[in-house]
Amino acid sequence: MTVVKIGRVIAVPVGRNGAVAAAVTAALVVVAAVATLSLGRLGIPVADLPQALFGGAEGKEAFVLGRLRGPRLVVGIGTGAALGLSGALFQTVTRNPLGSPDVIGVSAGAGAGAATAALFLPGLLPVPLGALAGAVLAMALVYVSTGAGFRNPGRLIVAGIGVSAISVAFTQYVVYAVERDRATVLMAYLNGSLSARAWDHAVTIWLVVLLTAPLVALLARRLDMTELGDELAAGLGAEPGATRTAAVSLSVVLSAAAVSVAGPIAFIALTAPQIARRLTGGPGPHLTLSALVGALLLVLADLAAQQLPIPGNLPVGIHTMAVGGLYLGYLLTREWRKGTL
Amino acid sequence: MTTTARSAPGAARPLVFLLAALAVLAFAVLASVAFGSHPTSIGDVLRVLNGTADANTTTVIESRYPRTALGLLAGLCLAVAGTLMQGVTRNPLADPGLLGITAGASAGIVSATAFLGVSGQWGAVWWALPGALLAGLLVHVIGSAGSGTGLVRLVLAGAVVTAVLTAYVQAVTLGLPRVFDSYRYWVVGALGGRDFDVLLSVLPPAGLGLLVAVLIAPGLNALALGDESAAALGTSPAAMRAGGLLAATLLSAAATAAVGPIGFVGLAVPHIVRALAGVGFRAQIVFSAVVGPALLLLADVAGRLVLRPQELMVGVVTAFLGAPALLLAVRRMKGSA
Repeated sequence: MTVVKIGRVIAVPVGRNGAVAAAVTAALVVVAAVATLSLGRLGIPVADLPQALFGGAEGKEAFVLGRLRGPRLVVGIGTGAALGLSGALFQTVTRNPLGSPDVIGVSAGAGAGAATAALFLPGLLPVPLGALAGAVLAMALVYVSTGAGFRNPGRLIVAGIGVSAISVAFTQYVVYAVERDRATVLMAYLNGSLSARAWDHAVTIWLVVLLTAPLVALLARRLDMTELGDELAAGLGAEPGATRTAAVSLSVVLSAAAVSVAGPIAFIALTAPQIARRLTGGPGPHLTLSALVGALLLVLADLAAQQLPIPGNLPVGIHTMAVGGLYLGYLLTREWRKGTL
Repeated sequence: MTTTARSAPGAARPLVFLLAALAVLAFAVLASVAFGSHPTSIGDVLRVLNGTADANTTTVIESRYPRTALGLLAGLCLAVAGTLMQGVTRNPLADPGLLGITAGASAGIVSATAFLGVSGQWGAVWWALPGALLAGLLVHVIGSAGSGTGLVRLVLAGAVVTAVLTAYVQAVTLGLPRVFDSYRYWVVGALGGRDFDVLLSVLPPAGLGLLVAVLIAPGLNALALGDESAAALGTSPAAMRAGGLLAATLLSAAATAAVGPIGFVGLAVPHIVRALAGVGFRAQIVFSAVVGPALLLLADVAGRLVLRPQELMVGVVTAFLGAPALLLAVRRMKGSA
């Protein structure tokens, strides 16, 4: 275990496993990104890719890179990282591997807020702010409904399912009220989609990720301490209450930003931290690795959405829902059998 | 004297409640026939029944008969299914929607239509059944892995199975739009746009499920006393449980085949029914058969009025109404899991 220090304030302990896993995951993200740009009928051949990226692209390549797949890929990486980070923060605070924004209704609430802002109040309220309002509202509703805050894992999950159902119903109401029955619009707001993203989506999500990343790094060590228990953490000067509030706030902001550019994509926030934890094998939130795994998962899912020969051009959210659901089912049976959950 | 004085109101009260519930149901039926995108009044309905209304109004009103009948049947099926499931599992969160059975029924119908070339309502209905059964079993297997089963485990397993099956249903219906054009509203859960043929096609499973429910109600009463007492009273707990869940599956599959996956009716109605009818299962089933349709029809009427002349699917309205019931139930959950 070494400690990476940036200045006097930030000191992030990095296990050797963690560093190797992070490097490998980052490399895999690059591979998946190259595949996203080069596969398929409109893909840019790998050999031409450096020229197209750095030498200026023309014609078809410029269209593919600048409009069709470039923004989609950049949004995908940013959104995946935001979701992974958001999930890791929330799961650490709730001390519940299932307490992630997509399970407890925060994502669905953000989706309802985004739909309201985009369809009911077009131009009046920016979509990211609408998503944030929806996410905060959903989280508050869950917090109040459990009667025990985030402490009771069972109540947290059931309340989350209820709040998700209300949010989804509200989203359906908004979409039917404004867009009649346009299935693609509904899909985008209910399942999440990366198709037809533009560069301003990319700017939104990366701005949020880059602004919150230093704050998350500042918080990381204190968050590690809160895992030792409140009294010990307080003794070490970590102020557990304030730390948790800060972590939840950052998590909600990241989650809302992700939803505002890509819709409530299911199960990335839940699974990325789980995979990160298994990769390193150690305790702790593994924030960086969770972000990287989240980016990898979403880029891979979107690659599948673009290239798999399934009729109907399914939005990426349906892929993550199917695969993430299967993974969650496997995880639940395994953990319950071992009695660790 | 004192005993009669004490027992009389207790015996009379459910009867009063039942009459009140029947009155609400009658109002719901009238409202369902009277209100819609084309404005008509309850007076028009009465004139149509007299035969004194003009042809135009008569057509409009009569066009609402099938959806009202479907609402009655689906509400009855879902509510009785929920009551059976909550009684058999002693789980106040048991609901055909939450425990994945509705999603399984949808997946069964969609698979049969898309890949087995089953066409028409009559064939598809029976494919809802294996789907519902398989999904229910899967939820049970996942939820009871390892030692001890909790409410939350089953609900969580149900959420997982529902997520995967919903993704599958959406993928298939999006991928084959020509096959599923008529299913677009059904996927969300809606009463409109279907005819009496649909109703007739789901009557066999619905009737069978209801028959089983009524037959095993006394056994379920014994089961409520605990497994050992039930065995001592001469009922087999395992057989009662299997029968109750089978009936619930039949009823949920019938409802889903008729009107699509509608959530939370099966969750909310049993809670209302227990407050009104007390602990006896026969009374609970009778009450469910009245309260469920009333709730579903009122939700459907609300859905027709909020977006006039558009409609909000009844499945969306029941989620609005029913999910808060789930949130209220959360507070009463005991323990940490």
